[in-house]
Amino acid sequence: MDLRRASRPSYLVVGRAQFLGLQDAEGGPITREAVAAALTDQFSVGFGSPSVVRGADLDTFDRRLRAAGFSLHHLSDPVDQRLVLISPGADAPLTMPITKVSWPALVTDLPAGAIREALAPLATIRALMVLDEHVRRIRRGEVRNDDQKIVARLELVEQGTGAMAAPARLSVQPLRGYGCEARRIVRLLVAAGLRPVRPARDDSKRGDTGALHVPIDRSAPATALLVAEWSAYLAALRANLAGVLDDVDTEFLHDFRIAVRRTRSTLKLGRPALPEDVTDRWEPALKWLSGLTTPVRDLDVHELGLPVMAGWLVAADPADLQPFAVQLRRRRSAARRSLVRGLRSARFRSILSGWEDVLADLSRSPGGQATRLTAGELADLSIARAYRRVVRGGAAITPDSPAEALHSLRTRCKELRYALELFAPVSDDAAGKRAVADLKDLQDVLGRFQDADVQKHTLYGFAEQMRAAHAPTKALLAMGELVAHLDADQQQAREGFDRAFARLSRPAGRQRMRLLTAGR
Amino acid sequence: MKVLALYNIKGGVGKTTTAVNLAYLAAREGQRTLLWDLDPQAAATFLFRVRPRVKGGSRGLVTRSRPIAEALKETDFEGLDLLPADFSYRNMDLELDDTRQRTRRLGQLMRSLSGDYDIVFLDCPPSISLVSENILHASDLLLVPLIPAALSLRTLDQLTRFVTDAGGNRPRVKAFFSMADRRKRLHREVIATLSREHPRVAHSVVPALSIIEQMAERRAPVPAFAPTSPAAVCYEQLWAEVRPT
Repeated sequence: MDLRRASRPSYLVVGRAQFLGLQDAEGGPITREAVAAALTDQFSVGFGSPSVVRGADLDTFDRRLRAAGFSLHHLSDPVDQRLVLISPGADAPLTMPITKVSWPALVTDLPAGAIREALAPLATIRALMVLDEHVRRIRRGEVRNDDQKIVARLELVEQGTGAMAAPARLSVQPLRGYGCEARRIVRLLVAAGLRPVRPARDDSKRGDTGALHVPIDRSAPATALLVAEWSAYLAALRANLAGVLDDVDTEFLHDFRIAVRRTRSTLKLGRPALPEDVTDRWEPALKWLSGLTTPVRDLDVHELGLPVMAGWLVAADPADLQPFAVQLRRRRSAARRSLVRGLRSARFRSILSGWEDVLADLSRSPGGQATRLTAGELADLSIARAYRRVVRGGAAITPDSPAEALHSLRTRCKELRYALELFAPVSDDAAGKRAVADLKDLQDVLGRFQDADVQKHTLYGFAEQMRAAHAPTKALLAMGELVAHLDADQQQAREGFDRAFARLSRPAGRQRMRLLTAGR
Repeated sequence: MKVLALYNIKGGVGKTTTAVNLAYLAAREGQRTLLWDLDPQAAATFLFRVRPRVKGGSRGLVTRSRPIAEALKETDFEGLDLLPADFSYRNMDLELDDTRQRTRRLGQLMRSLSGDYDIVFLDCPPSISLVSENILHASDLLLVPLIPAALSLRTLDQLTRFVTDAGGNRPRVKAFFSMADRRKRLHREVIATLSREHPRVAHSVVPALSIIEQMAERRAPVPAFAPTSPAAVCYEQLWAEVRPT
């Protein structure tokens, strides 16, 4: 018999006290008759008919469950379907019968119960989706004591055929409170010639973008650094595209937009090192792409924030916001139709393929560029310029400055942040981290200010339309309360501006920037 | 974690069969369920084929010298665990009397399991005692099986008064008719009157059916071995009516 280890975790090998799968050391097939014979003196063993079990391994796209040590499986056989959640350190998996769920699904779509409660804080707004599937022929068995009480369950995964087939395996799952009996069962099986094995880790990378991170030093051509970053963003963009088109969850669009925004910002930062035709053509193209995705994202932000906003209401009832929620959904559906049209258009396809060609060209001929800036030189130039723009913009802010001035400063801060992150591999690490920390505070203040401003204006816009459509007065009054709350939030953020800006522009902050841009 | 106690001062009214069947139904719908067999007769323990033995006995649990988690037994049914009875439970009153917060100790023990279970069923011994007081303090719902008889209302009123007088946590009280025989005029009349007029009486009725008696022979809940039987349907209706939200 093939003694290779399984390439995936054993089927339902779970729990801290679990005895792992067993394989026959002599190479003979594991049969139910052999298992029964090994245990017959002390236990009675029964196996059911073989069943073909289809298993789907589930996780969020960004593998949040795996990162927290959990694994989730949807198992179906001819008799039933169930959801199995294996938690780190738990004695036993949580299981739940399941019938009417199709994947991807949000946690809120799952039936109420312990599994949903355990998954809610892990997956939050991300959908659970199938990351891997397998089919196995399994015989389930039970080991009973003299009282005919089940003390352990067996699962015999029969040897499959074909190159990808997992080897035959027997797993012994003790029932809680019957650890002694399970240990005795394992001892008897080992004495009969079976050998314990541990399942191999699941190292499959589905869901990753596949981007490679190449180490780059200061003397490398600046284009090499830019191309490496853009390749990663392009990979993220492609990886999230299907989720955006299928509207799996709102985070696909969010991550898609981040990839576009970072590409745009780094394109701007990279101007001194790039041929003019590259920036001339691609800056407007990426601006179009960014604009295409904005309406849906803005509406997503509103929809996701509704439960929190409902909590702000003092005089109004949360239910009063229902007409607003309906209006939001309607607008989002319309905005999504435009987004999908755009993402399925020839223009978008040509942007994707054209941008990929640009990256290929730049990586093939780094010496043929208009300038021969190194990564270190571009880092120094870009960070110094972005920092100067932030300090100048911030210093010009007075108590009477309009909201647009703070919005513009926020954009400059984002550019500086991207510059610090883009050039982190070729900059002073400690100074870079401290500079980001200084900047974060200011970005937070400006972010709260702008978000409140945008939300206020959007609410006004919605309220106008809803009033024209004769929406209930209660809904409009509730929205008015939200506007008042947002206004207070905005004022509070504005009051925090001077302190946050001073932290970045103070002598220590300037010194950090000098360290970053003085070369190494 | 919700605690649901099957309780009646009288014995032989269907507490154990109801506790076993409802616990099975709760587990079947995905709730992590525990049934604590508090009756030293250990009938629920027997029905799940578990040996009526708890290391350290009643004293070990009550004094916490033995962790409660060590006494748990997984039943043959997914998601359903049992805390078995032990003959030493007949002395539980005395053990509780020796502890501080003697009317709240069982609740404290159960709270230590709140991360492991969504719902706990208590199969209570037929008595009014310190154990009963503990049960009142620990429960969210007291589910009272009543045999349809002229004295049913009196039993229910006595119990309601006992709950009111106990002070502290006051669980909701819900009664239901058990072992009902619709061939008997008296049963029909009592059920019709009380189900209609008494707010604490459930509409669901569990009849006296031989398949329920077969539980002792099959040693399993009715919905497990006879899922389409009228008895299984009755228990499903009762569960739908009393399920904690």
